[in-house]
Amino acid sequence: MKKITLLFIPIAAVISVAITLNGCVASQTVTAKSGTQLWGENCGRCHNSPSSSDFSGAQWEVIGTHMKLRANLTEDETNKIIAFFKSAQ
Amino acid sequence: MKTSSKYLVIAALLLSSIANKTTAQDSTQTEKNQKILMALPGNTKMLLTGVAWFGFHANMNDTIKTNVKNSFNTYGFSPMFLWKLSDKMFFESEIEINNGEMELEYAKISYKLNKFMTVGAGRMLTPFGAYGERWEPVHIEKFPNSHLRPNDDLLPDDTHLYWGAIMGIDVRGGIPLGSAKMNYSMFVSNGPLLSKDENGRPTGVVQYENLLDENNNNKEVGGRIGILPFSNSSLEIGFSGKHGLAGDIGDTVYENIGATATAVDFSYLKSIEAIKSTISFRGQYNTLTVDKANYYLTDSTTYTFDNTMKNYYAQFSIRPSMAHGKCIKKTELMFRYSSMALPKDAIWCPKDKNGKGGIITRMDIGLCYWLNWRSGLRFAYEITTMPDGTKQNQLLALLAVGL
Repeated sequence: MKKITLLFIPIAAVISVAITLNGCVASQTVTAKSGTQLWGENCGRCHNSPSSSDFSGAQWEVIGTHMKLRANLTEDETNKIIAFFKSAQ
Repeated sequence: MKTSSKYLVIAALLLSSIANKTTAQDSTQTEKNQKILMALPGNTKMLLTGVAWFGFHANMNDTIKTNVKNSFNTYGFSPMFLWKLSDKMFFESEIEINNGEMELEYAKISYKLNKFMTVGAGRMLTPFGAYGERWEPVHIEKFPNSHLRPNDDLLPDDTHLYWGAIMGIDVRGGIPLGSAKMNYSMFVSNGPLLSKDENGRPTGVVQYENLLDENNNNKEVGGRIGILPFSNSSLEIGFSGKHGLAGDIGDTVYENIGATATAVDFSYLKSIEAIKSTISFRGQYNTLTVDKANYYLTDSTTYTFDNTMKNYYAQFSIRPSMAHGKCIKKTELMFRYSSMALPKDAIWCPKDKNGKGGIITRMDIGLCYWLNWRSGLRFAYEITTMPDGTKQNQLLALLAVGL
């Protein structure tokens, strides 16, 4: 039990401190990024970046949610990337 | 819900939306209607996707003439089912049919608590390190095979230390931190098991893919924190840890044997205009420490050893993605190095010429020709060096097609 506590305390502490200090707010530079830019920056971190024509708008919503969970994308990034794919259909 | 009832609901919703007069109200009502419609059976957003593969290998330094030196050695098909049940609820599952054996890879339901946290439950990919969740899928892995890892090619049992699935619950999310960001996942799952020999006695190997055969009341806990310090998300460094008891309940000798694992992973991606290419670095370093215990030799006497294992890999790839040539921009060159240091005094550890256990290393040089963003023809030449200095050279090829 002691080891379990030792594992969780630093994880919880880092998350708590980060949230408290920053209020979970993205900087203006990040907020101003378009869906196109976020698509280029985030998808390629694990795999090649797909084209918007590979799936329909409804399918991109499903894939976007899947990738948000798999890659732990932020809410704002996910929404902008999905909006980019839908607008580029 | 009966079909007639379903149509009545839809008709009511349409009439309701027509009745609204202001634009704002229209918008709000439409959104509400869409949410209600999505909740009806048959109206959820679903996607069937996946990957199929077919591979070949050739042993390059096998001098025994009667051995089969080359064969088409692997095939598989892995459909993935994704359902967006509502704005908050999501289901994902994957079935893998690998060389004729079918297995449910994962089946997980997730519920969004808020924009920073989603809770999930079910059979899920291990949230430990980045490899198992993000880089292992066949359509993402650039090489024809995986790096050197503690599996049953070298050990008495597969460890599934940082790949495969767990049964449990997790919470996860992504958090903006000014120009940087972080992500996290924490889980509680059925704990690891001490793998047993043919006489039912523990060997000291720990097996993590404990899906339904929980052997004690202790649950494994663990998680990963990823830090992306740059605003362009080009670099991510992840720190993982997990701990659980591996012994069977009621087994007074092994009941309290704990297993603690840690991992550090990294990835870096950069497009460089000067060389018209995109470069990628990624890797993961893992350690596993199992509490000391006495284990059995073949003659039923006991022995003990320092049960610590270290395993890492690092890979580099370069793709001239900004070049003009149609073929060259689809070609990616890769280099990978992996190493595994097993508990050197364990009887199951591969030994060197002096009878001592040692380190196994593997080097791969590979090439991938991308047919599209998730399909590729991959080749690699692989050299594995055992602790006694013997080398196993292989030529590998794999066609992976994203569906």
